[in-house]
Amino acid sequence: MKLTAVILITAVLLSLACKADYDIKEVAPPEHLGLEHHHEHDETDHEHEAETVELGSVHDESHEHDVSEISGSNRHVHDAGERSHCTGWFFNQPWAASFIWGKMVRDAVILLVLSAVILFVSGYRRKHQ
Amino acid sequence: MKPVMTFALMTLRNLLRRRTIWGIIIVILIALFGIGQIPSYGVSIEGRFILDFGLFGLEIGALLLAIGLASNIYPRDREQKTVMPIIAVPLSRGQYLMGRFVGASIVEAAAMLMGCIGLMIILLMNGHAIPVDMLPATGLLLVEGWFLLAVVFFFSFWTSPPLNAPLTVLLFIVSQMSVSGFIKLFPQAPGLMRTLRLLLPHMDVFHIKDPIAHGMDIPGLYFLLAIFYGLAYMAFMLSVALAVFRSRDLK
Amino acid sequence: MEDYPLQVQELEKTFRKKLGLSSFKAVDSISFQLSTGEVLGFIGPNGAGKTTTIKCILGLLKPSNGKASLWGLHPASLEVRKRIGYVPENPDYDDSFTPLEFMSMFSSMRRLDMSQERMLAILDRVGLSKWENVRIRSFSKGMKQRVSLALALQSEPELLIMDEPTVGLDPVARKEFRDIILAERQRGASVFFSSHLLSEVETMCDRAVILSKGKKVVEGRLEDLMRTEDHYSVTYRVSDDEPEELEVEAAVLQKTIDDLRGKGYSIIGVNPLYRSLEEVFLSVTSGGAG
Repeated sequence: MKLTAVILITAVLLSLACKADYDIKEVAPPEHLGLEHHHEHDETDHEHEAETVELGSVHDESHEHDVSEISGSNRHVHDAGERSHCTGWFFNQPWAASFIWGKMVRDAVILLVLSAVILFVSGYRRKHQ
Repeated sequence: MKPVMTFALMTLRNLLRRRTIWGIIIVILIALFGIGQIPSYGVSIEGRFILDFGLFGLEIGALLLAIGLASNIYPRDREQKTVMPIIAVPLSRGQYLMGRFVGASIVEAAAMLMGCIGLMIILLMNGHAIPVDMLPATGLLLVEGWFLLAVVFFFSFWTSPPLNAPLTVLLFIVSQMSVSGFIKLFPQAPGLMRTLRLLLPHMDVFHIKDPIAHGMDIPGLYFLLAIFYGLAYMAFMLSVALAVFRSRDLK
Repeated sequence: MEDYPLQVQELEKTFRKKLGLSSFKAVDSISFQLSTGEVLGFIGPNGAGKTTTIKCILGLLKPSNGKASLWGLHPASLEVRKRIGYVPENPDYDDSFTPLEFMSMFSSMRRLDMSQERMLAILDRVGLSKWENVRIRSFSKGMKQRVSLALALQSEPELLIMDEPTVGLDPVARKEFRDIILAERQRGASVFFSSHLLSEVETMCDRAVILSKGKKVVEGRLEDLMRTEDHYSVTYRVSDDEPEELEVEAAVLQKTIDDLRGKGYSIIGVNPLYRSLEEVFLSVTSGGAG
């Protein structure tokens, strides 16, 4: 009976946690992805970008920012914090996606509650074995 | 609390007397030194390169340290039967786990601090400024290391040391993946893969080497939230590890 | 109901093997108890289930059935752990520490707040007075056993649980261990110890439990166990000569006494014959096979 209750509580809490989707590309608002400004590019898929960027040629992005440093092989370099079609992946990380921070807190709380439940139940079972 | 801290100190002294730890720390420091010696290669600005690779080295160091420190503690205690008199009399199983964990955590923290200071020295020696967020970033990597320690302890209660290391590394790798990336591993069952991925930790929360290398400001609130998340996951792993340990027979 | 320092009720421990497809019953429904101030010997051949029982008593193993309680409490409870001392079989400690370091750490873990003098006195009592600052790495098996005993004694336990404490010790060390155990009993502690050295049990124990193949085969006071029920010794005197002794079966005891009296001999005493514990042990364990 107690074990069933614990499994139920755990399942409910985990199902809540499962709703927290950290795949920023899936949950990001359009303004985060910069679609308004860069609709000509698909910025959300860096891997795809990497395949399509022609290596060995300089990309002209002077309409957005200066290419601050080009050296060695002809790669394009963005200024720090500059968003462009090649830096989407850079901003699709939790530190830059404040809209998922709430989910981090919620998951942390769920994990703490689960920890307490697990500790209590395993202690109870040990004492009453 | 006193029994746990005493046992943690006992663990700390024991770990420091083992050669493995010093081996790993020396490897991390040599790696950092090596990064400082590499010229810019024209890839990017040298300072960014050192920072980026240095922080990456620290993260891998945290993983290796966690495995090196904790994968063998409990199996060794069990094999040599040193765990028996400790658990039979002065300590409960929970106190044993916490004592061992805290002892290993202190070593991990000291090693990460050494790594961070080493990286700072290399940056200064190469004429680069030390970013303001360097210490908090190391702190986040340390929380990640502590979480990994908890994972290693969890695995050590039901598997052998040779299996512990690959399982921890596997968890470390898949926990870096995005949900969509994880689904691509087995696209035939996207629902299952999505659920599985969401149950695993999100280690990208701890990754801030890119913005730091690019000199960007990271909100202080983010550090706090990421630390809270990391510590909560660590607590969860420890409680699961303890539940497993409590159910185990000490033959 | 009295809360015995140790009570084992219908204790059973089965180990699953080969993915749970087969199993092995190491301890099979045994019950006994230990009273306050008593020394109870736990005897059995190798593999009889002694260590498994002790581990169940200490909460290191989870019984498959039945239970072990100490003062009526669960073995893992803090209250119990404060009151017991444990000497494991072939103890092994982290060998980078010294006995004094161990004493200090264990006393802190047990919240005993002991002075260094007190710790040194205990180490002296177990014969480690000149070794307190030497790392255990260089210790022999017997010396490690002494460290173990020192740790067990440090809290002045109300119950000492010892698993084969004198195995591998030389005769002098065994005698020292015996003296310490007897001194602990005099202090008022209860002692539960397993052994297959029957002479030891014979000299120290009030009662014994004999185990064979996981089952309890005999339990009782040593005197009762060793006393035969079918053989008696009759001591008599012929005029002023030295007394003589005659061993007779119970069935013919009365007839023998009558015969001796008929011959004018005086009967000095009639006592049951005692077997050695080894004889008892061998008879109940069918030759000692576990």
